[in-house]
Amino acid sequence: MTFSRRQYLRNTLGLGAAAALGGRHAVPSAFAAVHDASKESQYKLFEKFKGNVVLIPGKYSGTVSALDLSVPETLAWYNYGLAGVDMPIPHHIAAAPSADPYKSFDFYQTMQPPGSPYVNENSPEWRTRGDFKMFKMRYDGSGTQNSIQVVSDISAETGMALGVHVSIGVGPNARRYVAFADGQKDMVLITTLDDTPKIVKAFRVDYDPVARQINISHVFPDSSTGKFDYQGRKGMKTSHEAMLGEELMPADPTAVFVDAFTWHPDMPLGAILIRRQGCCAIVNTETWEPVALLSTAKGAPDNFPLVKQSGYTWTFSVPSVLTPLHEAGFLTNGKYFLACNNVLQNNIAVYRSEDPDPKKWKKEAFVEGFGNKYLPLHMGNVPDSRWAFFTIWARKPNNGYICKVDPKTWQMVAKWDTGPDPHTCDCTVDGQYITTVYSGNQGGQSGLVVIHADSDEIVARLPSPAGQHDHVVVPESWEGMKASRSTSV
Amino acid sequence: MRSAHRTGAMPHCRPQARHLHGIGLTAAVLMAVTLATLASADSSDGLFPTADQVGGQVFPTGIKQGDAFPTDFKIYDDTGQATDLAQVIKDKRTLVTFFISAAPVSISELKKIQDTAKAARDTQVIFVNADTVGVALIGGQSKAISETARTVRVIRQEEKLEHAMFVAPNDALSPTGLSNRLGLRGLPTSYLVDKNGKVERVFVGPQAWKQGDL
Repeated sequence: MTFSRRQYLRNTLGLGAAAALGGRHAVPSAFAAVHDASKESQYKLFEKFKGNVVLIPGKYSGTVSALDLSVPETLAWYNYGLAGVDMPIPHHIAAAPSADPYKSFDFYQTMQPPGSPYVNENSPEWRTRGDFKMFKMRYDGSGTQNSIQVVSDISAETGMALGVHVSIGVGPNARRYVAFADGQKDMVLITTLDDTPKIVKAFRVDYDPVARQINISHVFPDSSTGKFDYQGRKGMKTSHEAMLGEELMPADPTAVFVDAFTWHPDMPLGAILIRRQGCCAIVNTETWEPVALLSTAKGAPDNFPLVKQSGYTWTFSVPSVLTPLHEAGFLTNGKYFLACNNVLQNNIAVYRSEDPDPKKWKKEAFVEGFGNKYLPLHMGNVPDSRWAFFTIWARKPNNGYICKVDPKTWQMVAKWDTGPDPHTCDCTVDGQYITTVYSGNQGGQSGLVVIHADSDEIVARLPSPAGQHDHVVVPESWEGMKASRSTSV
Repeated sequence: MRSAHRTGAMPHCRPQARHLHGIGLTAAVLMAVTLATLASADSSDGLFPTADQVGGQVFPTGIKQGDAFPTDFKIYDDTGQATDLAQVIKDKRTLVTFFISAAPVSISELKKIQDTAKAARDTQVIFVNADTVGVALIGGQSKAISETARTVRVIRQEEKLEHAMFVAPNDALSPTGLSNRLGLRGLPTSYLVDKNGKVERVFVGPQAWKQGDL
C-alpha cells in the first residue's frame, strides 16, 4: 500500500490542529493560514475532502479563488484588475501538481476580452476593454497570510496572447511544457514551465473554404526580438469566442475555432482541438509535426488525408464536415481518445489511441443518447480510468447535465442535473469524487457540486458568486496530473 | 430535481419559471441574432438542428451561380427601418456583400469593394450585416436592430463607406435562418446579382479585386 505525502498531511494536520487547540471552545488564531474546522458541525460533511484545494476562476467577477474543500473556505483570492486588466475575464485554468497545496502550488490562467458572447460582442464601445492574457500564478500558504500572486505574464514574455484552454504536459511531456489555445486567433502556443517561459512551438490553423482544406502551420517569433507580435487583439479573426452553435454562424472564412491542446498520458503526442471543422490534429510532441487529422463525426472517415506539406505548413483535405465538436481528450490510461461531437451530431466518438501512429487510430464506438437539445461539451477523468465524466450542455430553457460513462460498454450509466449552464468536470486527488461547476449563464445561479463517483450521490454543493466557466483540483503528483485537466479539458 | 438518476429518463429540468426572471444572457445572445425569426421553434426551445436541416453539413453548398437570389428575408436600413430587399435590387445589377461586424476581415473588405466598384458604374453595391450585435447588457432583445444599425453607422463612418448598408438578422440554428438558406459560413461573401435577380458570381472570402470582376 502506498501512502502519499498528501494523505500523510491530511491525517497529521487534523490531529495536530486538534491537539494544539485543546478544548471544545478553543479559538484558532485569526491568522491561521489553514482554518481548523474540526470543532464545527459541518466538519463531518467536509473532512473527507482534506487535501483537495480547488481553483475557481470567476469569469465575470474577474477573480480567481483557491478553495479548501475540506473546511470549506476560500484560502486566498486575486482580482486580475490588480494585474492591470480592464474588465478581466478569467477563463480557463490548469494547476501544476503540489504535494502540499496548502503550502504552495503554481497554476496557469487564461483570459479573454469581454467582447464575447453572453455580453456584447460587437458594439463599438466594447472593442477596447479587457485583454487576451496568459498568467503563471502562485499560491503561497506558507505564512500567516495566504496569497495569490502573478509570477509572470506569459503573453508579454512571448508576445502571443491566447485566451481559451490551458493544459500542462503529462507523461513524456511532464515537467516540460504548458500549452495555450485560442479560437479567436486559431493559434496554439507551447512554452516551458519556467517562471520566465521560453517559446517551444506555436501553431496557426486556417480553413480554406473554397478548396475545403485545413492548413496547419508552425508560426515563428520575430528573429530580432525573439517574440511574436500577437499580443492583445493582434491576430484576432473574430471579436468574440464562438459559443456553442456558433460553428454554424458566418465568421471569418478561415476560422476553425481552435479550442485546446490535450496531452497523451503515455506517448509523445498531443491533440489540437478544432471545433468548427469537427476534427483533431494529432501532433508529435518531439518533432511538433501534425501527423494525423482525426475526423470525429459519425459517418466520417477516421481521419482526413494529408494533401501536401510545404515548408512548415501541412495541408489536409476536409471535403465534408458532418458536425462540429467541442472538446476531446484522452482517458487517463491513454487507451482511448474521446471527442465530444456536438451541434449537428450529439455523440462522443471513441477512438482507440494505443498505436504510436495516430493514422491507425480507429473509431470503435460512440456514446449516444443526447438527442438534439443536449451537447457533449467537456470531459473529466478519474485516475484509474474506471469512469469518464462529461458535461452535457444545453441552451435555455434547458439546464444541461453531467453524465457518467462506463468505458467498458461506452454507455451512459448515470446523469445529474447539477444546475444551469454546467461547465467543466474534475476529480479529487483520490479519484473518489467528481467536482463540477455551473455558471448560471454568467449571471444567475452558480456553484460547485461534488459527486461521489461510484455511489452517484451528490455529496456537497457550494455557492459561488463567480459565474465560473472552469475549475481545477490541484493535483498531488505528476502521475495525478494525468487525471487532471491535461489529458482532457 | 438535482439528485442523481440512472440513465433511462431525461434529467429533470427545474421548473421553467426559474429561468424566466428576465432574459438569460445565453438565450439573449442567441435570440439577438433571431429578431426577425423568433417564431422559429429551433431558436426558442433550445433545440439544435440536424445536418439534414442545414444543408447536409457544417459547410453547405448554398446559393450558387445561376440560382435565383432570394429576397424574402427581412432587412433593415442603417436607421433600423424595415426595408424590402426586392425593391432595393429590382431591375438593378447589384453586388450584395454580406459582412459581420465581429470579423475584422469582413469589415476591411468593404472599402476594397467600394474602391473596385468605382469603375463599375452600372452595378449597384449594397453592404448587409448578416447578424445582430449582442444586447444583453444594453437593453435586451428589443435593442437588437437599433444597436446593430448604430454599429453599422459607426462602421460606415470609420471606413468612409458610401454605399447603402443594411442589417439582416440571422438565426444560424434555424433551418430557415439566413445563413442556412444562403449557405453563408465565411464572411465576407458577395453575390453579384443580375437585373433579373439571378446570381452571376459568388465571391467567398476577401478578394484580390481587379477591374472586370464587377
